Amino acid sequence: MRYSAAVMFLFVAGVPLAAQSYKAPRTADGHPDLQGIWQVMNTAAVNLEDHIATLDMPAGRSVIVDPPDGKIPYTPAAAQQQKENYKNRVKADPLNMCYIPGVPRVMYLPFPMQIVQTPKYVVMASEFAHSLRRIYMDGSKHPDVALFWIGDSRGHWDGDTLVVDVANNLPDTWFDRSGNFHSDALHIVERITRTEPDLLTYQATLEDPKVFTRPWTMQMLLYRHREPNLKLLEYECNVYLEDAAKESR
Amino acid sequence: MKKWNTLNLLVAAVTAAALMTFAPLPGVSQEKGGKGGKGKGGRGGDPYGPYYAAPVIKGEPVGRTPDGQPDMQGFWTPRFNQAIFEVQNHPTPQRGIGPGKGAIVDPADGLIPYKPEAAAKAKELMSKNIYLEPEAHCFVSGVPHAAYQQFGYQIVQPAGYVLFLTEYAHTYRAVPTDGRPHISPNVKLFRGDSVGKWEGGTLVIDTTNQNGKTWFDMAGNFTTPAIHVVERITPVDTNNIDYEAVVEDPAIYTRPWKIAGQLGRHPDKDMELMEFACVEGNQDLVHYTEGVGGTAKEVKK
Repeated sequence: MRYSAAVMFLFVAGVPLAAQSYKAPRTADGHPDLQGIWQVMNTAAVNLEDHIATLDMPAGRSVIVDPPDGKIPYTPAAAQQQKENYKNRVKADPLNMCYIPGVPRVMYLPFPMQIVQTPKYVVMASEFAHSLRRIYMDGSKHPDVALFWIGDSRGHWDGDTLVVDVANNLPDTWFDRSGNFHSDALHIVERITRTEPDLLTYQATLEDPKVFTRPWTMQMLLYRHREPNLKLLEYECNVYLEDAAKESR
Repeated sequence: MKKWNTLNLLVAAVTAAALMTFAPLPGVSQEKGGKGGKGKGGRGGDPYGPYYAAPVIKGEPVGRTPDGQPDMQGFWTPRFNQAIFEVQNHPTPQRGIGPGKGAIVDPADGLIPYKPEAAAKAKELMSKNIYLEPEAHCFVSGVPHAAYQQFGYQIVQPAGYVLFLTEYAHTYRAVPTDGRPHISPNVKLFRGDSVGKWEGGTLVIDTTNQNGKTWFDMAGNFTTPAIHVVERITPVDTNNIDYEAVVEDPAIYTRPWKIAGQLGRHPDKDMELMEFACVEGNQDLVHYTEGVGGTAKEVKK
């Protein structure tokens, strides 16, 4: 990220991580163990910003911690586009076509997500459409030739925090059901910390000069599923879409 | 993959499904190559093509992961003859699938021991309803089909798990090795429910709970929800893994049958999987027109 020191200070000062005294158990190679099956308990997938309830969509509070008003700092043109997206969301939401959700949306879908770790990778496997995120931990760089639905994630450890740099994002994904969006210039830095035994604090700072007037940050908690012998099942979205199309013929 | 070239980008973008279906067989010269016919795309000899099988090269002794599992981590290419097109021996070309060998080692004739009515159904699917091929619809493959997946796969072994990460449809198969039981038989899944255990140097995976909506191949060899698969995966050295799977399903087979093959480590040490975004750009169904035995009008869009 290319933020000024002042902006970085704002993040650090404005977004204190909870329970800093907790020390997470380690994997065999000595890094914090983030493994398990996790899920948010919020409505970020409906709308990242403050929102009232609509049909089948619960109300919820903004997960945006910076800027302090909890709103995405869109340029005027982008704000207009978001309004259009919202109006057309039933048809236009890429998730309605069962497309790969992209980052950060895959992190707060209402589906369980399993994290596993090896020395070279952190793998995040979502139950939604068998979606897969591979975070390279080997110091390698983003490729310079292709964009991906799920972007390209390269991570490193900053103390006890997993820091993931996400680039190469296709412009076709949305952040939520409400049409909050980005362009191909999106760049994300995620900070993931196991702040309690069964809690991950998830923070993502997003910049996209084509769409936002300044970088902004969301923060939320992921809760560990503790049901015994829990496994990810399947939500094979495109299968159900086909079934629905057949039924409506 | 780090060796970026036009083919990779093509594959990563939208036409891979078409390429997958109509690219020529590995090592078989074929004019009707479809999208894969341009350049080296889709040929078995291209190390980044869908059907590449790494040559047999003797490796070092198998190492151990930090939690003591035999270490199979890395990128693997399946050597299962032409099972990806049809799992059983298929001496007669049909539907763009050339003559070739499958991967069945028992029975000795290399054919699926179907009951008569099931054999008729498989033939019917192949001859009249090939547009139903699940992977043409971007459905994830079942087990054992996932073991001889196009583009191969990456194995990662965090403590207590073996994960297979596939390029096709950008998906995963997670096999716990911590002794947990199968889920309830009431829950059926495309991938089924797999539980694994290490027996010495062999990973034994028991898979139940499949939903009967997957095929073994592109040739109508279907499954039912009664399918039970036991896979035995044995790393031989750092470059080679032996694979076998026993398939039973009393609903459609007269006896259990077995496939066998090998996995060869991909020679590219800097290999990275690409994103095969299947649903997002599926061009495959439109290729199943009357000309190749499909029913184009059944296909939306």
